[in-house]
Amino acid sequence: MKRRLTMGVAAAAVGTLLAACGAGGPGSGGGKISGGKLTLGVLTDLSGVYADLAGNGAVAAVQMAADDFQKKYGDKAVTKKIDVIKADHQNKPEVANTQAREMYERKGADALFDVPTSSAALAVQTVAAQQKKLYFNTGAATTELAGKSCNAYTYEWAYDSYMLAHGTGTQVTQQGGKNWYLIYPDYAFGQDMQAKFTPAIESAGGRVVAKDPTPFPSDNYSTFLLKAPTLNPKPDVLGALQAGGDLANVVKQYDQFKVKDKGVQLAIGLLFDSDIRAIGADKLAGTMFTTAWFWNLDDRSRAWAQRFQQRTGQLPTFDQAADYSAATAYLEAVQKAGTDKAESVSKVLNGMTFDDFFARNATVRTADHRVTHDAYLAKVKAPAQATQDGDYTELVRTIPAAQAFDKPSPDCHLG
Amino acid sequence: MILGLMRRLGDRPAWMRWGLLAVGLAVAAILPWVLYPPVATDILCWGLFAVAFDLLLGHAGLLSFGHAAFWGGSAYVTGLIALHSGLPFYVAVLGGAVAAAVLALPIGYLAVRRSGIYFAMITLAFAQMVYFVANQWSAVTGGENGLQGIPRNLPGVDLSDAFTFYYAALPVVLLGLAAARRIVRSPFGRVTAAIRDNTDRVRALGYPADRYKLTVFTASAFLSGLAGGLFAVNHGFASLQEVDWTTSGKVVVMTVLGGIGTLWGSLVGAAAIVRLEDWLSTAGFEQTDLVTGGVFIVVVLLFRQGLWGTATRLLRPRPPAPPTPDPAEPADPDRTPHLTKR
Repeated sequence: MKRRLTMGVAAAAVGTLLAACGAGGPGSGGGKISGGKLTLGVLTDLSGVYADLAGNGAVAAVQMAADDFQKKYGDKAVTKKIDVIKADHQNKPEVANTQAREMYERKGADALFDVPTSSAALAVQTVAAQQKKLYFNTGAATTELAGKSCNAYTYEWAYDSYMLAHGTGTQVTQQGGKNWYLIYPDYAFGQDMQAKFTPAIESAGGRVVAKDPTPFPSDNYSTFLLKAPTLNPKPDVLGALQAGGDLANVVKQYDQFKVKDKGVQLAIGLLFDSDIRAIGADKLAGTMFTTAWFWNLDDRSRAWAQRFQQRTGQLPTFDQAADYSAATAYLEAVQKAGTDKAESVSKVLNGMTFDDFFARNATVRTADHRVTHDAYLAKVKAPAQATQDGDYTELVRTIPAAQAFDKPSPDCHLG
Repeated sequence: MILGLMRRLGDRPAWMRWGLLAVGLAVAAILPWVLYPPVATDILCWGLFAVAFDLLLGHAGLLSFGHAAFWGGSAYVTGLIALHSGLPFYVAVLGGAVAAAVLALPIGYLAVRRSGIYFAMITLAFAQMVYFVANQWSAVTGGENGLQGIPRNLPGVDLSDAFTFYYAALPVVLLGLAAARRIVRSPFGRVTAAIRDNTDRVRALGYPADRYKLTVFTASAFLSGLAGGLFAVNHGFASLQEVDWTTSGKVVVMTVLGGIGTLWGSLVGAAAIVRLEDWLSTAGFEQTDLVTGGVFIVVVLLFRQGLWGTATRLLRPRPPAPPTPDPAEPADPDRTPHLTKR
């Protein structure tokens, strides 16, 4: 009897609480710039396999964009205070989910940038839509971001797996690498890369002999490297679709196991300058790859890269350059809209055409928020040809913006 | 005067129990006003999980090292139900908990035949199998990417605000806690406690010990499933982390930190760990595990009975009063010696 009474009282107390607190909670400010300042959040890999291609360099790029914006507008700027905050997502989607929520909700971020690792980017994209705040992806390659999972709050600024596959996959196959063995990291990025490379190779007249998912992240690729020459028919090309620190491991072990001497060439899906730095240009000399940008492209790029180098001591990767480009475009859009309300900023951005040091002949597509711009088919310079330290890339040809990216996906419905 | 009053807390007369209940409910009610609401909800989820775990470890003497299978299994099932059916999240969470209990039946059936380290290893092995399935069956679970965008459905109520969601989740957790307490205090609970202390004697008395163990194992899995499902809905996300062995380890740490066999101590342990991790990560400190690990070592070395166990021992009159057996009301399980035999 006594116990039943206890339960009754407990239930009643909870019921009252639910009723009393249902209407509480934090509300949103009504001012033009919420909180009187802009907060740009950089959610990135600060400690793992993608820390070199994004990481603190990405934070520096966004900070640079904020500084340049303030210098440009001075007193006319829409706000005098722009904070740049950073967080580490450890390349894990569940951490990215928590951190993104935390940055938007608790630290007041108006927009998030970067986010390498496709699975993490997909998580951030979901949170962005829930929070009704903007997210500019530069680090993740999966086409799902502008496809099945697309939403009105996410923009894809730099590159995607379609761009990489249709540059590298097509070109290498046409040059005689008919039979491919693909190894890809087993998460959103790798799965999507594999799904884009296979048709690109086949439509160029090649064939995928075998494909294997590899653990992510991983230190040991010996199983796959030893398997490559034993496949029947023997592949001409080993397509390594790993990225960052994982890719460095694949290439080093490809070298150690002397797979090249057994007649299997290496093709790389995604290559950043930071990877070439880590692997060594001598090991990669002549390797074809597709990139969204490289610092030695022309004078405009070199000028920006030099300023970035003065700030960080290192030359930028295309991801970091894209972060600057996206952050600048965001700030300009806020300036124009006069508010940091996501929907209003979005209206300025959608359909915008622009041309900056990073994105050439660029358009922000209204249908799926994909930014299309010129991409570059390139190859790694032999160290002897390099004009200076960090000069790794030789342009083979420019892929025009209209061809570099796929048409808007029919699966994408911006809600 | 105050000390005397506090000492009497340990004896817990009826009015004191009411007081504790009132304090507990008050803390639960104001938590999201004090803490960042998603963290407050995390504390609820992990708290229920730790209590469910203590039901097994503290009150049946079974150290499972595979409880992530039930927490995470339910997280996935809850997520799938919520994503594909659009039913209210309460139904989804209940579905997840039932799935966890169903999963626990075969695992428990095999595992309870062994005890100690063997029991722990068998449960760990099964949990790793669940992990493998979740990783490989990516068409359903999303593999490495996890199950994303789990909605918080509840007809007529907008739960998108974490603050509101806390109060929607609270009754589920309170019901779970009440169920755990009811089990511990029931005649059934007394038998499991006896099994913990001397299995052979319980068998000699004619109780089917294995069936009792299986039942408490399944009940623990069900409550863990409730917690895991809520957690998934809270984060809108179910990932491999939920079925990872480190999650099984984390709940052990929480329970031991709070005090094995104290039931409510597990709540304190869970709150301490979640709060500590949140505080460290917002302070920008990267090596969170290093600190929680250090705290764990200190607690195990200095306070063998955990935070709650140590607190109640200090507040109890010394030497402990001889237990006065009351035929109508079974003795407070908190007063029985904890895990004399493990």
